[in-house]
Amino acid sequence: MTAALVVAGLSAREVSRRRTALLLVISLPLWFYLVRRDLTGQSTRMLAIGIGWAVSTLTLFVVNAARGVDPRLRISGASVAGVIGGRLIAMSGFGLLLAGGYFLLVAVDQHIERAWAVALLMMLTALIAAPFGSLVGALLPRELEGALALLSVCAVQMLADPAGSIAKFLPFWSAREIGTYAVDGAAADLLWRGLAHAVVVWILCTGLTLVIFARRLRLERYPEPEDH
Amino acid sequence: MTPRPWLHGFLDLCLLAMLRERPDYGYGLAQRLAAAGVADIPGGTLYPALLRLEQQGLASPSWAPSENGPRRKYYEITPAGLGALRAQADEWRVFRDGVDALIGNEMAGEHTP
Amino acid sequence: MNDWPRRFEAELVRLGLQPERAHRLTAETAAQAGEHAADPDHFFGPAHLYARHLVAELQVSTLEEKRAAAGKVMLRLAGVTKRYGRRTVLTGVDLTVRGGEVAAIVGANGCGKSTLLRICAGLTAPTSGTVQRTRRVGFVPQDGGTAGWLTADEHFTLFGAAAGIAPRKARSTGAHLASLLAWRPTGSQPVQELSGGTRQKLNLVLGELHGPDLLLLDEPYQGFDQGSYLDFWRQVRAWRDAGRAVVVVTHLLHELQHVDHVLDLGGAS
Repeated sequence: MTAALVVAGLSAREVSRRRTALLLVISLPLWFYLVRRDLTGQSTRMLAIGIGWAVSTLTLFVVNAARGVDPRLRISGASVAGVIGGRLIAMSGFGLLLAGGYFLLVAVDQHIERAWAVALLMMLTALIAAPFGSLVGALLPRELEGALALLSVCAVQMLADPAGSIAKFLPFWSAREIGTYAVDGAAADLLWRGLAHAVVVWILCTGLTLVIFARRLRLERYPEPEDH
Repeated sequence: MTPRPWLHGFLDLCLLAMLRERPDYGYGLAQRLAAAGVADIPGGTLYPALLRLEQQGLASPSWAPSENGPRRKYYEITPAGLGALRAQADEWRVFRDGVDALIGNEMAGEHTP
Repeated sequence: MNDWPRRFEAELVRLGLQPERAHRLTAETAAQAGEHAADPDHFFGPAHLYARHLVAELQVSTLEEKRAAAGKVMLRLAGVTKRYGRRTVLTGVDLTVRGGEVAAIVGANGCGKSTLLRICAGLTAPTSGTVQRTRRVGFVPQDGGTAGWLTADEHFTLFGAAAGIAPRKARSTGAHLASLLAWRPTGSQPVQELSGGTRQKLNLVLGELHGPDLLLLDEPYQGFDQGSYLDFWRQVRAWRDAGRAVVVVTHLLHELQHVDHVLDLGGAS
């Protein structure tokens, strides 16, 4: 567990040094929000999806950048869970910070009945985004392809009708559901559905990430030599 | 004076032979080599050679005080060193006889008995 | 004169001698110069050069002794074969390396040297054949293998944590190992700003940070200038003297007299 925490701390430091990328990623949700600022519901949901995109893209890059280091860490004795888990912890933490910051913006700028639900949906989106970005990074080792995949997912997420069948298979559907509950005063039903969806997506993405990396970072176990 | 490349192969032999005659320290050995007309051995060649002999167990060190202060490191030949000396001396004789045979006819005229 | 012994001792330590032995040798060397009533600088020449000369002279006999006194087997490959689909990269490779030995894997580019090293590291499985290997192993890849935006110290912390070493101890171990390669990492430079030779030194330190018994090195001195290149081989000899087993993949052949085993994988397939 300590290894995971050290990896997390250093991952966070590593990311914080990439000032330009960080700035772009942090500010993108803002543009999403501003574009729809007049409509509370739309702007909140766009903001959330923007946060999801930002965190998952950053995680994608962090995971890909670590490709050279991770096998060596494994050889030095780290576990897959320690290495991958550490990065997820760091990026989840970053996501929560981002979500927290933007929540304050929304709370100040808009009047929302169930503000706490907005906080919840932004937090959930940030928490899902990290393993989702990690999964895409695990599946698509080249950064351009991974980034394009994420872009496509977020674009479709924003445009698809939430009630339709496609939307439910997209990772950030929970943002729209809980958003509707929070802003449009819908029934608690949506809240629970959104929550359940978020949890399932998180488990799926985290689980698949760990499985894929357990395979990729697998080390052969050789027996000790007999002396003769 | 013998040029160094020739002596390098046989420096150990010379050192072991001198040590068999009597134990000595670095400076003493250097002087005896020079007196024998063998070569003017630089310290940077002599001392590593002595350390090598020590490392290989062919010579054993001991310390004794000197007249004017600092103690000296004396080397004494060991039984293993005696064995190595005998073997190397045999090699040397073979080599020497071989070279003599090759140049013998050439040099005969220049030796004035 | 007064500074010569200190520089001499420092160079001996840097060359891999144990500190007590270096201290003893320094005292003896100073006494030797004293026997001739000479200044060591005049008698032996510059301190660091004589230190290297002395160590090289002494290594000659250690090399022979080590062959007899080699330690336990650290790596044993028997009939190792690697196939990727139709393409056979390695066939029936046998190799045994003991503690205190150095093995070089040579061959043309593309003949499977790096693949063999990766098999030894456990990153890839052989298609057939057996591998027996000590558990504690260090791996130094050809390039990459570091996080460009982190500093050297942060790398020590990271790799130390992977091996279960506390951060402060990892950093001090890293700094000490770096000093043996004549490198003093400054606190705040990200690794991607370091020169190629320095980055390879970092790679070496990271590979041995957790004190492995077997070291696997993949042509790590490609970016080296002449000085760093010599330092690398001295480091290999120091590891050997410390009883570790070293396997080096290389296509440079002129240091092979220091090596105990040469495995030639032949021409490119």
